[in-house]
Amino acid sequence: MAFNRDSIIALILIMASGGLMLASFEIREPDYGVLSPAAWPRLIIVILGILSVLYFIQSLRMAKVKNLDTPSHSLVSFFSYWRNVFSVFIIFAVYLILLPYLGMLIGNLVFSFVLLSVLGGWRSFLMHGLIAIGTSGGMWLLFTYALEVFLPRGSLTGL
Amino acid sequence: MDIFIPAFLNIVDPSTLIFMTVGVGAGLMAGSIPGFTIAMAIVLTLPFTFSMPPAQGLATMISVLVGGLSGGLMSGILTGIPGTPSSVATTFDGFPMARNGEPGLALGIGVWSSFCGGIISAVLLVLFAPQLAAVGLEFQPWDFFMLVMFALTVTASLAGSHLIKGLIAGAAGLLIRTVGEDDAVGVGRFDFGSDYLLTGFDFIAVLIGLFAFSQLLSDLRNPASARKALSDQKQIFVKIEHRRAIMILIKNWVVVIRSALIGMFTGILPGAGGSIANILAYDQTKKAVKDDSKFGKGDPRGIIAPEASNNAVEGGALTPLMALGIPGDISAAVMLGALLMHDIVPGPTFISDEPVLASSIYIAFFLANFIMIGMQSGMLRIFVLVTRIKTYVLATGILTFATIGVFALHNSVEDIWTLFFFGILGFFMRQYGFPLAPMILGVVLGDIAELNLARALAIDPDPMLFIARPWSLFFTIIALFSIIFPIYQKQRGSGSLLEKLYSPLMLLGLSIPLFMMGGMFRTTLATAALVIGAYVIWRRFNGRRLKQRY
Repeated sequence: MAFNRDSIIALILIMASGGLMLASFEIREPDYGVLSPAAWPRLIIVILGILSVLYFIQSLRMAKVKNLDTPSHSLVSFFSYWRNVFSVFIIFAVYLILLPYLGMLIGNLVFSFVLLSVLGGWRSFLMHGLIAIGTSGGMWLLFTYALEVFLPRGSLTGL
Repeated sequence: MDIFIPAFLNIVDPSTLIFMTVGVGAGLMAGSIPGFTIAMAIVLTLPFTFSMPPAQGLATMISVLVGGLSGGLMSGILTGIPGTPSSVATTFDGFPMARNGEPGLALGIGVWSSFCGGIISAVLLVLFAPQLAAVGLEFQPWDFFMLVMFALTVTASLAGSHLIKGLIAGAAGLLIRTVGEDDAVGVGRFDFGSDYLLTGFDFIAVLIGLFAFSQLLSDLRNPASARKALSDQKQIFVKIEHRRAIMILIKNWVVVIRSALIGMFTGILPGAGGSIANILAYDQTKKAVKDDSKFGKGDPRGIIAPEASNNAVEGGALTPLMALGIPGDISAAVMLGALLMHDIVPGPTFISDEPVLASSIYIAFFLANFIMIGMQSGMLRIFVLVTRIKTYVLATGILTFATIGVFALHNSVEDIWTLFFFGILGFFMRQYGFPLAPMILGVVLGDIAELNLARALAIDPDPMLFIARPWSLFFTIIALFSIIFPIYQKQRGSGSLLEKLYSPLMLLGLSIPLFMMGGMFRTTLATAALVIGAYVIWRRFNGRRLKQRY
């Protein structure tokens, strides 16, 4: 019996099932309709809860296996292992927050340039700039004129 | 003719042909780049098709699919790295043949096998989809509900040793679909006072996030490999040897047909796609030949089998989609999304209610295979160019495209947030071994399941009907056996009781609903299942006694 990564995920799932079950009692019960709007989600939550418990039991019975590809416990190696993934998360989140201010054209251009430079290194910034202009500008033209999609303009840039 | 001509005109419209050609090209590229899957290409095509008429949109998606299924062989044969999981087995003999100095022949065999597999499955789709739809007309809400449950369990069971994770993913997919206003009575669920949650997650944004975004994150995870190009090959001077390849295919027509049938059947099963079909067909071909010593060293049959089968998969996957509204794999699930986006709900009446659209799908499927043959040679040069692009540049471009594409669905920035959240979720699911296919099916089929549950209970509140009706019992039995399947697979060769009883008990079990259905054909089928099941049990237990006696 070993408490491992799967056990933690299983516990999170069990807690999430419990939380969602509680939240399902907040669903308003109308006087009409045959099936209560809460019935189907509750049925799924019960199944999810049972499966999570089974997963937890299964995880305890599994031998603890060290995945050679995963980082060791030091914080530096952890961040260096996940560096690119966290970079994409952060850059994408910032892009989404700034999108109403920058607009889709400028926002995408900045997003592409920063992401390319963070992932590929700042030395090739000129090349990354050209790629960002080419891809973002090309897609903007394609969607705006060929597909006639109204892409959002930024409140700061007006573009 | 009243149906065929307008359908034909839909597809041969110049703009549709252009979109199909671009689609096949994009599919060939996506399929040929390791790490960028066909499903991802299809998912990313979806926003483009929003502004198109349904027939044109579906024709474009089918073209991407056909191109993608054939694209994997280019990379597999020329570099030894399969472009998609559907062409893993192609590399077993394709790469050795290319290294033996015959890359043109290897590509030719692969291309023409893909073409034959695609055409055979297109013919079978045209023949079988209406028949299956006729059977589907017998289905009542109880049966549809159990059919969805069966689709989810069988998809989860394909996760093998991760069955529980697969089932959890499926249940989570169903749950994700419940967020927002309930379709039947308009009551908000799990909105926690947020307008964003009250509108629910757009399921296409969810699909793109779960599949495409998470895949890109996985491709970028390793900083060293993210900065590398997929190949440093400068030029490829290969001339595809069409004539010799066709002659070899004619000589091995049995392999072509058998593999296409394997692909078609695998495609019909929910969740089982080209990645299983190509290995299965390769294995069956190897077992069927008298001399398998050349396999793995460049045997043409080792290219024919996987390529004919993986292209036949889609005809199989489209069959339950068109006939029952249940997708056979992720690509078909995305196509279901495309249909729903145009307010077309596929089901048993789809082919009769929308005959022109259904025929357009058939014609597009045929035509896309011809376009694929025409384009494959030309795409070789572009393939070399694309593989020289560094992974992070390609991934950034695709991510930017996905973002605009998701926004274009409803002109909503919230959908991009959905893409982001589900991209993160999908990435961690991949990292922790949770299969994505059951979750995607859960998201796509969630509404259908709830709708049929509500309808069933409105007709009769007796829950026993979910297992007492012939078809629902039929699906319940297969669903149960699909859950046990991974355990059975683990115990194969151990001589355990489960191993001995699994298949005969399934046959005996299935004979019950078949008897309940009545009719000459099904009663005969039920009797055969009963007799075979009983015989296998008798044989397996008496066989041991006989062995002990002598």
